[in-house]
Amino acid sequence: MSGLKGKVAIVGIGEVPTGRFPDKPGIYHAIESARLAIKDAGIDKDEIDFVMPTAAMFSFSYIGELTTARVVEELGLKNCKKNCLIFSGGSSSSTGLQMAGGMIASGVAKVVLYVHSEKLATALTGQEGIDLFSVSGISPEWEVPYGQHYSTVAALATTRYKHETGCRDEHFAAICVSNRKWAELNPNAFFRKPLTLEEVLSSKMLSTPLRAKMSNMLFDGGAAFILTSAERARDLTDRPAYVLGEGGIVTHHVYSQEADVTRFGWARAAKEAFDQAGLAPKDIDVAEIYDSYPIYQLIAFEELGFCERGEGGEMFLRGETWPGGRIPCTTDGGMLSKGHIGAGGGVSLLVEAARQLMGKAGERQVRGARFAVETSTGGTYMDSQVTILGTEIP
Amino acid sequence: MTGPKKPIPVVTPWAKPFWDAANARSLIIQKCKDCEKVVFYPRLACPHCLSGDLEWVEASGKGTVYSYTIVRSNAPSPFLSDMPYVVAIVRLEEGVQMLTNIVGCDPEEIRCDMPVEVTFEKLNEEFTLPKFTPVKK
Repeated sequence: MSGLKGKVAIVGIGEVPTGRFPDKPGIYHAIESARLAIKDAGIDKDEIDFVMPTAAMFSFSYIGELTTARVVEELGLKNCKKNCLIFSGGSSSSTGLQMAGGMIASGVAKVVLYVHSEKLATALTGQEGIDLFSVSGISPEWEVPYGQHYSTVAALATTRYKHETGCRDEHFAAICVSNRKWAELNPNAFFRKPLTLEEVLSSKMLSTPLRAKMSNMLFDGGAAFILTSAERARDLTDRPAYVLGEGGIVTHHVYSQEADVTRFGWARAAKEAFDQAGLAPKDIDVAEIYDSYPIYQLIAFEELGFCERGEGGEMFLRGETWPGGRIPCTTDGGMLSKGHIGAGGGVSLLVEAARQLMGKAGERQVRGARFAVETSTGGTYMDSQVTILGTEIP
Repeated sequence: MTGPKKPIPVVTPWAKPFWDAANARSLIIQKCKDCEKVVFYPRLACPHCLSGDLEWVEASGKGTVYSYTIVRSNAPSPFLSDMPYVVAIVRLEEGVQMLTNIVGCDPEEIRCDMPVEVTFEKLNEEFTLPKFTPVKK
């Protein structure tokens, strides 16, 4: 089972700040992120032979523009053989990386530009955002009529997880605080003021036991990366972020059909990824774990094997995941603090994993980071996707 | 009632018997005639063995709360006037799970694994939703 191990690498990353930008159209975030990624990779733009935009959720007509190669035209790419949208919701980072990697490893493509852009904050009102996420990915036959939406989805997992493990609300608040510690150091994050456990625990109750400050907020933003073969990567940089392992499993479509909302498929996906990489959780220097809500970050963190089930909350509380901690976690601040940009939550974490490995993370750089794990999930946590990256091939 | 109309189920053709039964205050689920496993939500083919030979059986209507949440704010527009309301996943005795609302009790009394039984709430002339209520002691 070699998969993509050591065959492809991220050689360039680009990102624009996450925030509210009423004057910037969706395409701004795509063009600017892509331009920065091309510049960062140090390649000629006309080396790009495949463009893979990810769908934005704010507008169907904008999805149409991405589908019909607006990015290729805006960037004036002369040798782009194919432009093809890739989308699996929040896990689009992992699915895109795997597909782009497969094409490069098989010789179908040489240099892939992957780009995400979103305008969820300023194209929609707050209530429109809630309403979009009460139907998007939620079954119109079996769940929408019961008032299901993304807060209840997260709350249902939290309630059951608390019941089975004895974990307390302060543990979930600790995850929010941990992510904020990192966001304080991230100029692209929206929420950068220090956050306390008390502030989280006294914020407005949404769907019990989920509170407002345990919930992500929707923003505008974008990110991009350039993927190429390991050989080409070594010509371009001495610190490429090699793909070392990938694992994934789709566990449901309708959320209430999930067999275990306290575990999902993380253990299986993680085993596949770690086995492929030939690494174990103890080898990982930085863990970019998909948050969106603290329960998901906690479950994935535990199921990946960073600690025993039910013990992760204490690690976040003790600061072991903070800057300077034993296992830095979600170092861009995550969707909880950097901000939720649709499918871009996962893209942002993948780009951050590469950034940390390439040594480009500025104030929040995890010193000497060699191996990173990134997770993502789409829909109502329909899948568990795990990617391991590294600066060397073990 | 205020706010936009409640969303009605967008019915899959082969699930229509389920909704017709709910209108008659009956909870039915599918059973595969080949592998004999029970199936919910209604499928065109058995998700266990891909047989196309599925029959409808009456469910016990009894189950337990797998998980629940009380919606106190930021609900979708059509549900704002219902707050607080309870969204729950119920596991039926037969082994299948469904999303529902827990009604007819103080939301604060609900617990995981609590026994519940089906009840029916009319949504409009066309639809009745199966919901669940704690089993009376």
